[in-house]
Amino acid sequence: MLMMSRRAGETILIGDDIEIVIAHIGRSRVKVGIRAPRETAVIAQEVRLVRDENRAAANGAAAAEFSGLVARFAAGFSSSAKARR
Amino acid sequence: MQALETKLLGEIQYDESAVIEFPRGLPGFDHCRRFVAVRLEHTDPLIFLQSLEDAGLCFTTLPVQSVDPRYRLSLSAEDRDLLDFRAPRPPVIGRDALCLAVLSIRETGTTANLLAPVVVNPRNLRAVQAVAEEPGYSHQHVLKAAEEVAVCS
Repeated sequence: MLMMSRRAGETILIGDDIEIVIAHIGRSRVKVGIRAPRETAVIAQEVRLVRDENRAAANGAAAAEFSGLVARFAAGFSSSAKARR
Repeated sequence: MQALETKLLGEIQYDESAVIEFPRGLPGFDHCRRFVAVRLEHTDPLIFLQSLEDAGLCFTTLPVQSVDPRYRLSLSAEDRDLLDFRAPRPPVIGRDALCLAVLSIRETGTTANLLAPVVVNPRNLRAVQAVAEEPGYSHQHVLKAAEEVAVCS
């Protein structure tokens, strides 16, 4: 991985049409400005994780064994919740 | 009352005033904005988030506090604005905000997404799936077996 040091206000160019500006450097977070062509998707890595996880969750719900799983799971869960009280 | 024939839950009936609105949709499902929360007696404490736009889309969720009683909610300023949480202090789970972990049910086991809980403001029924600002929560938190949960607490 290429590592570069930049100060606030400085810019990095990727190819001809992507521009990344270090807009603000805080104590534990950096604010970054990104200029990219409309067709280039720009999302935070966590959002992609969440997107993929949501798709998996939706598929799980569609699975044939789902209702059985839910019933067993919920039975175990609620009985343990009661046992805790 | 409105009725909807859903793929997972069969026919459900709901009141328009109970519709939860996700102004931004959910990641991967940006076009799905309107959901209802369905609770069934025999699967309590599960809460099903059924899409009203896509009868085949239903998320299975658990209140985060059932997964992790010490769960700490962190909301970005943008999400707080969207939900209209105006108080300077962070919203309290269960009092100011309904906070649901989306479950992924796989053959290998069930995981809960604690990285990005669904946060609902019960006062205006607006919701976002909020990616936690603080690191430390997993998008695939393994649900402990019932016995372990009982022992741990």
